[in-house]
Amino acid sequence: MLQLKNTFIGAFAILLAYYGGVFLSASLGLPIPGPLLGLVLLLFLLFAFPNIETHTTLVAQPLLKHMSVLFVPAVLGVGMYWSDIEANAMALVLAIGFTTALSLGLTAWVANKLMKKKSM
Amino acid sequence: MIDAILNTFTVGGLIWLSVTLCCYAISVKVNLFFNGHPASHPLVITVSLVGLALLLSNMGVPQYQQSVSLLHWLLGPVTVALALPIFKQWQKLKHYGWRLFASIAVGGVLAPLLAWFTLYALGSPVTLQLTMLAKSITTPLAMEATAQIGGIPALAAVFVITTGIVGAVVSNSVFLLCRVISPEAQGIALGTVAHAVGTAKAIHMGEDVTAMATLGLCINGLLTAFILPLLFSMVL
Repeated sequence: MLQLKNTFIGAFAILLAYYGGVFLSASLGLPIPGPLLGLVLLLFLLFAFPNIETHTTLVAQPLLKHMSVLFVPAVLGVGMYWSDIEANAMALVLAIGFTTALSLGLTAWVANKLMKKKSM
Repeated sequence: MIDAILNTFTVGGLIWLSVTLCCYAISVKVNLFFNGHPASHPLVITVSLVGLALLLSNMGVPQYQQSVSLLHWLLGPVTVALALPIFKQWQKLKHYGWRLFASIAVGGVLAPLLAWFTLYALGSPVTLQLTMLAKSITTPLAMEATAQIGGIPALAAVFVITTGIVGAVVSNSVFLLCRVISPEAQGIALGTVAHAVGTAKAIHMGEDVTAMATLGLCINGLLTAFILPLLFSMVL
């Protein structure tokens, strides 16, 4: 019963931040996506009321863990752009395959140099 | 939200939501069977299974998208939920300070610029170039940011997931080649460049790597999704 109540409080906090962000973005005409402002709002909420961390975790953890399933409808829509992908297949393979490996190596190398002095 | 819920409580909505969730449950099992290998990412398998089901039942993708609009709607709240991992890693963030931000910034700027330049140099259409700019950040943020700057959100999701899989698959060899053994550096690179798929890989590499990957994923996603639309609204 308590678990259920806590889950509701957590869901309420997340929805409050979400709709707050959407409202802010729309009413102020900001170019920043509403859910992103919602993220920042929730971060503020968590710092203002640290004891809601356990409540939000109850809702946020399963959502974050299984977020892959939320992309299914969007990814299936990609069929519409199949001709674009085919026409640019070579460029896309290079852009995603090669540059990802390169960026990964460079980032790790720089991080290694920077973090060496401050290991925990 | 109301629309999404109403769509769910129709016959089609309930059937396709169950089909999608069942396919996802199977995909998670398959992924576990392959010991969490990035190439067997649950999204890849779920999309193939649901795609097959749509084909067999002669259902159009737009209709399907409408019946499971609840899933799509949840992308908003899941974006908001990303605040929680940032909050939980706040101590680490304070400890590493600017060094952390500088490392993440290197990956956050290099990865999209290199990818964009490849498409630009090879003469791909502008919409594809714009979509590529968000390829290294976590999918919900990437879709939001792409929509804002005039790219294609559906394609962004595909680019992002492919980037994550490639990054996670090549990471071991890349770290060996660059002689990076520090778990912090490995984590930052994985989270910044390969977002959530890289972070999932980091879980197999230890707790230090996972914590830093989570920070890389969240900070880079947050900054990119803020900066890209702002930059474009100023230029256009």
